[in-house]
Amino acid sequence: MNLNVTTADWYAVAPLAIVAGTGLLVLLADLFARTHVNRYAAIVLAALGIAVAMADCAAAYGHDYAAFGGAFIVGGFGVVFQEIVLIAALGSVVLYGAIGNPDRVGGAIALMLWSASGAMLMSGAGSLMTIFLGIELLSLALYCLCGLADRPTARESAFKYLILSSVASGFMLYGMALLFGASGSVALTDLTNPALATNPLLWIGAGLFLVGISFKLSLVPFHAWSPDVYEGAPLPVTAFMSVATKAGTLAIFARFIYAALPSGVAERLLLPVWIVAAISMIAGNVGMLAQHDLKRLLAYSGIAQVGYILAALAGGTALGMRYAIFYLAAYTFMNLGAFAVAALLSDDGEQGSRLANYRGLAQKSPLAAAMMTFFLLALAGLPPTAGFLGKILILSTSVTTGYAWLGFALIAGTAISLYAYAKVIRAMYERNEHAHTHEAHPFVPLAWASAIVCVVIVIALTFYPLTPSNVLPLVR
Amino acid sequence: MLPVGITHYLVVGALLLVLGVFGIFLNRKNVIIMLMSIELILLAANINLVAFSALLHDLVGQVFVMFTLTVAAAEAAIGLAIVVIYFRNRGSVQVEDVNLMKG
Repeated sequence: MNLNVTTADWYAVAPLAIVAGTGLLVLLADLFARTHVNRYAAIVLAALGIAVAMADCAAAYGHDYAAFGGAFIVGGFGVVFQEIVLIAALGSVVLYGAIGNPDRVGGAIALMLWSASGAMLMSGAGSLMTIFLGIELLSLALYCLCGLADRPTARESAFKYLILSSVASGFMLYGMALLFGASGSVALTDLTNPALATNPLLWIGAGLFLVGISFKLSLVPFHAWSPDVYEGAPLPVTAFMSVATKAGTLAIFARFIYAALPSGVAERLLLPVWIVAAISMIAGNVGMLAQHDLKRLLAYSGIAQVGYILAALAGGTALGMRYAIFYLAAYTFMNLGAFAVAALLSDDGEQGSRLANYRGLAQKSPLAAAMMTFFLLALAGLPPTAGFLGKILILSTSVTTGYAWLGFALIAGTAISLYAYAKVIRAMYERNEHAHTHEAHPFVPLAWASAIVCVVIVIALTFYPLTPSNVLPLVR
Repeated sequence: MLPVGITHYLVVGALLLVLGVFGIFLNRKNVIIMLMSIELILLAANINLVAFSALLHDLVGQVFVMFTLTVAAAEAAIGLAIVVIYFRNRGSVQVEDVNLMKG
């Protein structure tokens, strides 16, 4: 492997460097502040860094370039995943600044930014080595973020996440070692060699690799960690984790199935993944029915939503890829919005995670209840939200590419999920005699602002002209 | 003398992987043992990478191992830190005490 690093290569990773460098700046500001960094100063600093990185990423759109000998790919669909990660980071940074422990705001924001740079690396990874580094950069920062609250459940969630996620990374790394042995190269593009189609190393390696991916996406046989970790972690961290992990891993998965398998292998190798996706759609939504905690509920909802996104990818068409990205973008805002509403119910995020506290919310705060209803209906996929449009598009692509059974699972899952979401909504609009004795909610302006922005975007996304010929030209 | 080929390295790697997985899922005692088992899994992959690197005369595999070792070190550091804060909170590092949340 002959590697000539040019200036263009360094420009290619500039957005990642900006995000990681901003994390360092926030930590420095925290260091030089008398007690701890002012939460608004930290948010503004982080938001500036994220804005510059977003502009830098967007500028690379359409200028495809394989940096560092193909290890990091600029442009293509990676740009969109990077923007989604940055949006999730921005939303969670604002939420953490709004409701987090002031002593920990600096460190938490720095860790979130480093984690985001890992997810951005995953979005552009073109070799097994960068995939592994991106996953670990994302995960290592997330382990620390999960344990940032003093509650025993937070500590337990950090511990569980560390052990289970490391085992999954280990399986994935073992699979990568076998893939390296099969193809003699770490570049994903070298795996397309047709001579590899009958190599057992490729089959075992790719199988282990996909097990790791399924774990990170919390697909059903490997999903047990996600409700526990989501429940224990601080609320803004859960918001970040639920989007950034999925976005980064889906980018890797998409690149792997679209660009890294010999022809003929993909159909047989990926069939178990699609079956697992169908099971996730059903089991995730069934799991929602029994939950008493909003974060657990959204964890099970996320399991099902990943299944929907995978259903769009199943056909292996460029159109399916676009629809998957559209649904991921919609999910990002629906999910962030739901977490923002939960955050504005309390000053530490814990009140808003217990579903019992939503009983009679409409009497106390009609706007908050209305927004939560909107986000839950969007997650369930009812019009006039982006969730509805996304589901219709996924349904159409799964039927036209011969995966109609995935579309059937999507419809069945949606029907079950409606019941689960409706339970929460009904509780919010219940008449509650004790509602007036509760003290008023603290006013959290940043959480209100984030929730309202998410409402606007979830509606606005439905007006995006998504006809097949006019759809985002995301995949080249 | 038995010549040592790629198969032998792969068998050692597979054995280490199995040991690591059993160490995590059958271990009912101490969580530190779980961290050690994770290191075993990563080392199993490292052995495979180095073996393939030697077989293919390609240094990339060994570069990969350097990255993996760094990541494993960071993971061990963070893992031990999490075990410490967990112990301060719960007063125990026994696996059966990790039970606050069902799952």
